[in-house]
Amino acid sequence: MYNCPDSITDSQGRVGSVSLFKLAAAFVVLFLLTSGIVNATDRTGYYGLGTPASPEEIRGWDIDIRPDGKGLPEGQGSVEDGEFLYEQQCAECHGSFGEGVGRFPVLAGGEGTLTDSRPSKTIGSYWAHTSTLWDYIRRTMPFTAPESLTSDEVYAVTAYVLYLNDLIEDDFVLSRDNFTSIELPNNLNFIPDQRPDVANGRCMQDCKDPASIRIVSSVMPVVRAVATPVIDNRAAQAAGEKIYGQYCSLCHKSGMGGAPIVGEVSDWQDREAGGMVALKKRAIDGYTGQYGFMPPKGGFTHLTDQEIEEVVEYMVDSSQ
Amino acid sequence: MKHDATPENAKSVKVSAGNDRRSFMLAGLGLAGGAAAGSMGLLADAKAGSNLPPDVPIWTKSLGSGVVAHPYGQPSRYEAQVERRTVDWLTADRMASISFTPLADLKGIITPSGLVFERYHSGLPEIDPGQHRLMIHGMVKQPLLLTMDDLMRMPSVSVIRFLECPANGGMEWRGAQMTGVQFTHGMLACCEWTGVLLSTLLEEVGFSRDASWILAEGADGAHMSRSIPMEKALDDTLVVYAQNGEALRPEQGYPLRLINPGWEGNTCIKWLRRLEIGDKPWYQREETSKYTDLMPDGKAREFTFVQECNSVITSPSPEKPLKGKGKYWIEGLAWSGRGKIKHVDVSLDGGISWREAGITSIVLPRALTRFGLEFDWDGSPALLQSRAVDETGYVQPTYQQLRDVRGTNSIYHKNAIHTWNLQPGGTVANVQLS
Repeated sequence: MYNCPDSITDSQGRVGSVSLFKLAAAFVVLFLLTSGIVNATDRTGYYGLGTPASPEEIRGWDIDIRPDGKGLPEGQGSVEDGEFLYEQQCAECHGSFGEGVGRFPVLAGGEGTLTDSRPSKTIGSYWAHTSTLWDYIRRTMPFTAPESLTSDEVYAVTAYVLYLNDLIEDDFVLSRDNFTSIELPNNLNFIPDQRPDVANGRCMQDCKDPASIRIVSSVMPVVRAVATPVIDNRAAQAAGEKIYGQYCSLCHKSGMGGAPIVGEVSDWQDREAGGMVALKKRAIDGYTGQYGFMPPKGGFTHLTDQEIEEVVEYMVDSSQ
Repeated sequence: MKHDATPENAKSVKVSAGNDRRSFMLAGLGLAGGAAAGSMGLLADAKAGSNLPPDVPIWTKSLGSGVVAHPYGQPSRYEAQVERRTVDWLTADRMASISFTPLADLKGIITPSGLVFERYHSGLPEIDPGQHRLMIHGMVKQPLLLTMDDLMRMPSVSVIRFLECPANGGMEWRGAQMTGVQFTHGMLACCEWTGVLLSTLLEEVGFSRDASWILAEGADGAHMSRSIPMEKALDDTLVVYAQNGEALRPEQGYPLRLINPGWEGNTCIKWLRRLEIGDKPWYQREETSKYTDLMPDGKAREFTFVQECNSVITSPSPEKPLKGKGKYWIEGLAWSGRGKIKHVDVSLDGGISWREAGITSIVLPRALTRFGLEFDWDGSPALLQSRAVDETGYVQPTYQQLRDVRGTNSIYHKNAIHTWNLQPGGTVANVQLS
């Protein structure tokens, strides 16, 4: 390219046909650069690593949907079909009316609450795009079995959730063709980032009136040495099992150091004969004697006495 | 247990000697002096004082365990309290939840890999790196599938950058609510990240000049996804496979993740499996329903990527109370998604007067920076605050300043000056001031 101007106005001032050709070529390159067809410094395939991704391979993973409908597959689903699927696969967490169970997300309601002190941000009250709903249901719902729904099922569940938000009628059938006609009510209320939006100064002295300083909220620290709260037997069993797996199984699976093996009934009979209280005490204080040795709490002294008691119960229960 | 347990133990080995399995194992332990001596150490240190001068500590008078007792290695068992913790009431379950980095116990600016906060949306996937692929497609000349081996053959770069969840501190918009610095600021970490510049990969596939956004997607059940602007991707975004010198931890995206330095941790997609090049954002759930900042007028800001300048005192803190009058070292962390930390000021009187703290670590852009200040405590109550200034001149704001603009429902990007109330007994409480 750099040669082109020299060619067209060379030392003799001639403008030859070859030079004109070069000029034309330069314009073509310039066009390709600005049009995006060719990169300024095209290094495509420079490393030659990886393998070409085939259309079929891409189809298997390319699951995203854009607000303009790009990515939506063929298919359709009715509110009616959606209700059946929703009750079966969604209501356990989200509630039959999209009200949310426990801390699982609320899906419906909340219109007009965005300026309240406790806004309810649902699909109807907050979300911006129908495509996000379709995309998200296919992407990761139901929670325990992501990407398990067919396209028709995703259309149906999407339709039902829109219906729960009073955005479509109960006889609606959602499809790729009518998808982009449904707009969510809050979609015009999103604005770009405006930060930095505050300007503090770097005052060093007399920055505040001492009389103005008041503690308006306060949380005391947690003292970590306190025992874990009382929990029911089933939870204790689960806690014991977890502690066993994490800390105790190394010795109590193999018999290392003379440790009684969990599941070996005979290993535990003598020890249980002394009573559970004594057994738990030995586990907490440590033991050296006839059977072998065990450091206090197996060496994991950060475990609470209660945790040790729970794990002893678990091990004994598992060795009957 | 008694210090002089050795003869008893030796005797027990003799008494029980026989040809059954247990005796054999015990005898084996007796012979393996290291293991036995180790256990003696455990038994002995229950007896307070015996390891202090003029007595010689038991660990000085015995053999320790041998090499590869822990082939990977682990912290001292006396550090067992230094661990990630969660707050169960924050989320519906532990598969879509968060745990917090124990900031009060950390030193320097690097967060050990095993202590980096966790954030999952569908639990922790266990990925076989041999079967992991990175797909790059969309507005490119040559869509590619890359193996981990392919990525390791490309030019490699290492940077130290912080990683912060944009919800860090979000529970405190309305008032003090969390019990310690682990929970007020612990969705925060800083690691050395090693990988390939995303720009290198984009050149390799020949991205279109018309492309302006990239969708990054994870291989977890959430297929966690965010739209990333092309300017960032071509600037400093990394596709990383290593953290603090070793392969990424599973919790941090093993075998591959994105790092967008200085930006919302949520954009740094873990278990990265796919990059799609396009010309518009995708408006995924995590950039519309979540990670948008609701303002008092009902409008919401979207694509609020940058983590603004922030700081916190990590000691004293609720986890690090003071033990009587005298000299102490106040220390803490400062960071900014816009670049380097320039100054950190500390107040002992709730913001009436400030003193500039010393910077005690290396200062890197978009990395944690440690500050410190000598403190002679006379036992009187104090309101401790830190205030960071970054290289753009931005000064960390007060709660009042943030709330005046953003109200209390924006959840994300809370970077207000934080206050600890040091009480006469040395206890430190999390407080907010009028």
